[in-house]
Amino acid sequence: MNDHKQFEGPPGQPGSAELALWLQRVMTPAGIAGEPAPASVNNEQPALLQDGEDHLRFYQQLPDFVMALLNGSTQIDIRYASLLYHLLGCPTCHSAYLETYRAMRVAVQSSMEPLELSQPALPLATVPPRVLVHLCQSLIRQAELVLRASDQDESERQASARALLRRAMQVSTHMMQMRGRALQDLVRVATLFERPAEESGPQPAAYTYSWQLTGGGARHGGKVLRRAETPTRSPATPPDQPTIYIQSHTLEGSITQQGDTLELHLQDLDPSLRSRYLSVSVPLGGLLEPVRWLGGNPRAIRSSTPVDEHGSLSMPLGETALRLTNTEERNLLEVMFLRLEVRPLK
Amino acid sequence: MPFTAHALRYEPEKSFPALYAYLHQRAQRFLGSLRYDSDEVDLVVGHVIERLVCLGLIGGGDHAPATALDQLNDAQFYAFLNQCVKNKAIDRLRKRRLLVSSVAELDYAEETEGESDRDPLSEAVEPAWGPPPFATPEEVALHLASQQELRNLLKHCIKALSGAPRQFQAVLQELEEMGATELLQDVLTEIQANMPPLDAPLAHSSQHKDHAHKKLRPCLQAHSTNLAVIVALRLTEYVADATNRGEVPIQALAQETLSIHDVQQGLRQLVTEGLLAWNGGETIHLTAAQVKHLSRFYKEE
Repeated sequence: MNDHKQFEGPPGQPGSAELALWLQRVMTPAGIAGEPAPASVNNEQPALLQDGEDHLRFYQQLPDFVMALLNGSTQIDIRYASLLYHLLGCPTCHSAYLETYRAMRVAVQSSMEPLELSQPALPLATVPPRVLVHLCQSLIRQAELVLRASDQDESERQASARALLRRAMQVSTHMMQMRGRALQDLVRVATLFERPAEESGPQPAAYTYSWQLTGGGARHGGKVLRRAETPTRSPATPPDQPTIYIQSHTLEGSITQQGDTLELHLQDLDPSLRSRYLSVSVPLGGLLEPVRWLGGNPRAIRSSTPVDEHGSLSMPLGETALRLTNTEERNLLEVMFLRLEVRPLK
Repeated sequence: MPFTAHALRYEPEKSFPALYAYLHQRAQRFLGSLRYDSDEVDLVVGHVIERLVCLGLIGGGDHAPATALDQLNDAQFYAFLNQCVKNKAIDRLRKRRLLVSSVAELDYAEETEGESDRDPLSEAVEPAWGPPPFATPEEVALHLASQQELRNLLKHCIKALSGAPRQFQAVLQELEEMGATELLQDVLTEIQANMPPLDAPLAHSSQHKDHAHKKLRPCLQAHSTNLAVIVALRLTEYVADATNRGEVPIQALAQETLSIHDVQQGLRQLVTEGLLAWNGGETIHLTAAQVKHLSRFYKEE
């Protein structure tokens, strides 16, 4: 616990030291009282996400706050009062402030010429996969931080978060390895947008399919998926056609493309679903504009025919100019089908 | 220029490889004898990347607000990144407990003799301009406690507790126990009526105090609270001129640090707290009682 002697108020300000001690007690939530601010925090975003509070609003004020300090602004207390109170109680943001101050102090006095790099234009694929994994994970965590922002209305927060998730998806299309790890939280954060029981109905999914990403098992919705080695081609899938294979436990399905139309092929569905129409939900479908979903809502795509007597169903999902025959576009579509949910229609 | 802050914000897929190459090169330079440890290099580079994402600089587009970093010229931006990498590298060296006088460092120094680079840890001293302001939480707390504008915010939030009398009493008793009597007197002067005596026994005071603290924390950090206090102060300054007769145009309240939008947000907060009536128009009309109330509580000393 802080020692009263650490606080020596300015002369002519009686009671400041006592008030300062009280303030520190108020602003430091139980559990981290008395802990010194870390010299440097290795993983800031996870720390900012830990307590469920909105830290991003303050974090993103740091450069402007530092610049005001460096410029000797007289309006700092008025303009940044809430930030100062926040820094008092948040070791992570306080540490980020110190690092930002030290770096910007050097920067604003700098007159050095930037180094000329020997590789002026490099494709994303030249960056080591582990670094792209880190970038994707940072972008996804940032989307989650944005969703907690208290200084924006909901539509702004969702638009910002969607843009960040799209960035992560687009970056991942350049990765041939470790995409699973890069996008492991994508579905969870994307489903933070969803409205409860509105489009998909209150019932749980009968089946949750996932595209099996190589280079690391993906965990989706708590269901353990058997890693596909060589997925069995669906009888409904014509040979040699570019295909995305999906799986739900032991059940397999596929997505093909006829012209602009993406088609879903499911097989071996439970007998209770035979002769019934299905509703398909693609949770990540709302993140990509180039796909025009059948019916307009990727969370409620209705099958045009019922499940047949053999437990098979083929149905169009939507249309897109993206092509499964193009590597990057295929990668993007694969990411979109990280999760696909199937429910019977009432 | 291989990459710029603008390119990172709007075209990260194109500019990120160049950024990575630069950060990687800098990290290897500043890590000294750890420069061949790929985990350490990754840690340093990853830390800076995460920082830039968090600040909205990588992939933030128009959604993330522009900051002072967007105003830096290219040379300054590179210097900023360079220093971020250096600071993190020094931090990692310290954590790995590498000594300047170790044999490894001497070998490194000999190996790099003639180069302009010095040993990284030898540069890890506070520059001549001294430590940053608010270097410790204690310094932040002292500043908050000693500056009038910041104390006004605190008074405002404590006063907001008066709707929960037991929590309010618990906080006032705590202030008295702590010896923060000056602030206590300010608040008591304003809220003297209808409150039990300060020394009246309070059952479950610890619990009420905790609840009060939970309310104080978000209030003190709320932008709307800060704006309300600023606007209240400006209102009191404006109506101090008797010729104004309690009519204050919004434009008069919006000065260099406050936009019209900020003023409106502050006014709405004051309306919510029952301190004035305002229908969203261009002029605020204050009654004599409201002027007196605002002046007594928010006046500058």
